[in-house]
Amino acid sequence: MFAITPNILSKFLNTLSKYVFLLSILLLSVSIFLIIFLENDYYQGISFKIMFIHVPTAWLSLAIFLVMGVSSIIGLIFKSPTAFTVARSLSPIGLIMSIIVLVTGSIWGNLTWGAYWVWDARLTSMLILAFIYLGHILLLYSFEHFQKADFAASILAIIGLVNLPIVKFSVDWWTTLHQGSSVLKIGGPSMTNDYLITLLVSFFGILMLSIFWFSNIFYIITEKRKIERYRLLND
Amino acid sequence: MRIIKLNNQIKKRFIFLLIILFCFSTSIFLISYSLKDQIAYFVEPSDLKNMNDIENKYLRVGGLVKANSLKFTDGNWIFEVIDQNKNSVNVIFSKTLPNLVEEDKGIIVEGKFIDNIFIAEIVLAKHDENYMPQSAVDKLKKEGKWRGD
Repeated sequence: MFAITPNILSKFLNTLSKYVFLLSILLLSVSIFLIIFLENDYYQGISFKIMFIHVPTAWLSLAIFLVMGVSSIIGLIFKSPTAFTVARSLSPIGLIMSIIVLVTGSIWGNLTWGAYWVWDARLTSMLILAFIYLGHILLLYSFEHFQKADFAASILAIIGLVNLPIVKFSVDWWTTLHQGSSVLKIGGPSMTNDYLITLLVSFFGILMLSIFWFSNIFYIITEKRKIERYRLLND
Repeated sequence: MRIIKLNNQIKKRFIFLLIILFCFSTSIFLISYSLKDQIAYFVEPSDLKNMNDIENKYLRVGGLVKANSLKFTDGNWIFEVIDQNKNSVNVIFSKTLPNLVEEDKGIIVEGKFIDNIFIAEIVLAKHDENYMPQSAVDKLKKEGKWRGD
């Protein structure tokens, strides 16, 4: 039966990564240009422009966790090394994304709300997500062998999946200081088209950059796995 | 196309994972459901009517700043926080307000009720999820479709 081994996926990603990197540079420079020349918000002024980093990284930190959780499930059920390697190489990217979300969010919060941090549902659940990413990485590197580490870490990733709907819908379920969703909500986006286009361009730019980064990490981990297997076979 | 037959091992692992996910999501749901009053960041003025012993209790009240109610007298900011049901709370605040506090815009006040007046210690501005440039606002106002302010 045909199976995608880590090697095949790594080679495929390698051929792709050059174009992905070029595309991300292109999209990011377009988005920087758009952000600079965009008109300010009527209420928040210039400070709302941090949204074009905050929102794409927030989407990505959720999406990366979803991919990580699903590939952990596939890995655990089918004992697939490829799925485990995908989950393993995604967590550092997700951690960086969630840290960027928290930092840009607290800068934005200080400018608009008047506080860097409050313990409302959205902020707290996002912090928990960042800690789950951190725990996933720590768990991965606290075992001697890949197999045990992958098993333990994927259980954590699957449990962490429960947190995703809480982060996403916290602003609808409870009263929060954080504003509701602007784009992915019932009734269409609540921003003008020029803002929406800028947001999407910057989202795809950051997405491409993280795919490029993912392909690099994936390559390194695949090679490490090969070394470990070689060592185990020759012991 | 080949039909993938699930063997017993795979089925067992699948059920194991389903049970883990079910247990955790149920427990998280039960925890967050029973703590929903604590998780909510603020209460609205209408909710205060159903609460007992609000005097001298540390609370957060959120809503909109009532139009034409924001005043600065004797070194204190005085304003009313109103919600959709037109219930309102009189607030007094002695420090500097955040930049974005305006009439008809969202606000959250943190403090205590003393003699039916809310003595705020912290005031936070709450902005909504609508973003638009000034030119779009002007256009909407010209067409008479503007609902804010």
